[in-house]
Amino acid sequence: MNFLKIEDEINFSQKLFLLKREIENFLCEEGYLNIEPSILEEYDEFTDVYSKIDKKKTVKLVDNSSEILILSPDITTGIVNRLMNRWEENLKIKLFYYGKTYAHSGIEIKEKRQMGVELIGEKNENTDENVLNTAIKVLNKYSKNYLFEIGNSKFLKGLMQSCSFKKEDYDNILKLIYFKSKQELKEYLSKLQYKEAMSTLLNIFDLEGSFDEIKKELEGLYMNDLMKEGIEELSRVDKYFKNITDKITYDLTLVSELSYYDGIIFRGYIEGSNKEIIKGGRYDSFTEQYGIKIPAIGFSIEIDELVKTLYKEEII
Amino acid sequence: MSLTIAIPKGRLGEQAISMFKAAGIGESIDEKSRKLIFEDKNKNMKFMLLKNSDVITYVENGVADIGISGKDMIMENNSDIYELYKMNIGKCKLSVAGIKGKKIFMDDTILKVATKFPEISKKYFDSKGQKIRIIKLNGSIELAPILGLSDVIVDIVETGNTLKANGLEVLEDMYDVSAIVISNRISYKFKRKEIKEIIELLSKEDEKND
Repeated sequence: MNFLKIEDEINFSQKLFLLKREIENFLCEEGYLNIEPSILEEYDEFTDVYSKIDKKKTVKLVDNSSEILILSPDITTGIVNRLMNRWEENLKIKLFYYGKTYAHSGIEIKEKRQMGVELIGEKNENTDENVLNTAIKVLNKYSKNYLFEIGNSKFLKGLMQSCSFKKEDYDNILKLIYFKSKQELKEYLSKLQYKEAMSTLLNIFDLEGSFDEIKKELEGLYMNDLMKEGIEELSRVDKYFKNITDKITYDLTLVSELSYYDGIIFRGYIEGSNKEIIKGGRYDSFTEQYGIKIPAIGFSIEIDELVKTLYKEEII
Repeated sequence: MSLTIAIPKGRLGEQAISMFKAAGIGESIDEKSRKLIFEDKNKNMKFMLLKNSDVITYVENGVADIGISGKDMIMENNSDIYELYKMNIGKCKLSVAGIKGKKIFMDDTILKVATKFPEISKKYFDSKGQKIRIIKLNGSIELAPILGLSDVIVDIVETGNTLKANGLEVLEDMYDVSAIVISNRISYKFKRKEIKEIIELLSKEDEKND
C-alpha cells in the first residue's frame, strides 16, 4: 500500500503489526508452533511438486551457477516440500507461519502477506473440526458478520468420474460450474450422450445453502461411493458446528482444480471485503506424491485484505 | 440486506428496466432524468446506470452486487464473477465478417483482424490455427476492410443490415451472445436469497415474453 503522508503509513504499519501479533498469539494458544517459510524456492522442484501452479506468474531469479530460483508463490507448498523429504513415521505437527508470496500480476510483481496454519500427520475424529474451528474463531474475532463456506471436492470429483467425460468436455463443464452458468451447463450436457449421473450434475447449483437444505435437494439424486463419502464428512462437520455458529454455509460446487485441496475445502468471508479472507482445506493427496500418504489440512489468512477491511471501517 | 444492481445504459438497459418494472421492481428508475442512481427504499434496492462496458468492473469489484451485461463483454474481460442467468434479451451473434465475395479467410498468411474484442478474437483464431494480427478499434468497425485497414472484422451482428449496407458479409458465426445476469462472487454468498429471488422474477418475465 502506498501512502501520501508518513504519519498514515506508520499508523497503518503499526496496525498491521498489532493484528499480526494478535493472530500469532491466538494460534500459539491453540497449540500451533511457528515455522519460518523460506522466500526462495528452486523453480524446477517447486513446479514439479505443485504442477497446477501458473508457471508464467512466478517471479524468477538466477543464481551464480545459473540455477533458476523463484520467490515463493505459495507457502504451503514450500513447507510441505521441506518437511516431506525427511518425514519420520508417526510424526504429528501443528504449525503456523507468517510470510510473503510473490506473483506477476500482469503489470507488476505483487507481494502478499499471508499467515497460515498446517496440521500434518494427524487425522482422528476431530481433526477437521478443530482446524475449521480455529479458522472460524479468527473470523469471528474480527467481524460479527462473517460467513464460513464449506464444500467437499470428493462430491464433484466422484460425480465427474461417473460421467466419464472426455478431457475437453471435462474442462469445459468444470468452467461452467465455476461460473455457475446454469442454463449453459444444461445446453452443454444436452449435446452429450446421456448418463444417469448427469441428473445430479444438472441439479448441482441447488446444492448450496444450509446442510439440511442440501440434504433435501440430494434426495433421489444419483450418488456414488466417493460422493457419499464427501457428504458424510460434511454431515459430521455440520453436526459439530450446529450449536456453535449459524454462519456456516455449504456449497458442493466449490471447484478446487487449480489448487492441491482434495476433500474438505473451506473459505471465510467478512462483510465489507470483496475477497476471501480465509482459504483452506485438506491436501492428503498432495503429500501422497512423496510416496507416503500423510494426512494434512491447513488454511491461510489474507492479512492484507483483513487489515484493509478493518482499517477502512475505522476511517469511515 | 440491500442489493445494488448495475444496469447498462442504452437499448439493452431499456429492455432490462422494462422487464424489472413489469416484475414489480425498480419503479423509481426514471430513464428520462439525468440521474444515474435510483433507490427503491421499500424493496431495499439500489440501481446504478452505467456504461455498458463498465458494468462488469463495478460488479467484479463489489460496488454493485449484481448487474446485467452482454456475454460478449464477459468473454472479452475474462472476469472472476458468477454468470447466474442468461436472459432472453440482447440476443445477437459474434461473427467474422469481410468484403463480400472476397476470399481471404483461412489463409497461410497473417490475417489482419479489426475488432473491439481483441481477447475473444485471439482465442477464437488461435483455436482454429489461424495466425492473426489484431487491429483494435472502438467504433465503425465495418470501415476497416473497406478502407484496407484489415482483412476481416470480428463484431456483434444483430440483423446484418449494417454489414450489408457497407458491402460486407458474415464469413463465420463465432458465438451466440445474449444478456447475462452476473453477480459478484462474495455478494452472492452473503445475499444469495435476495439474488435468487430477482432471477426468479426475471425468468418469469422471460417465460411470459417467450
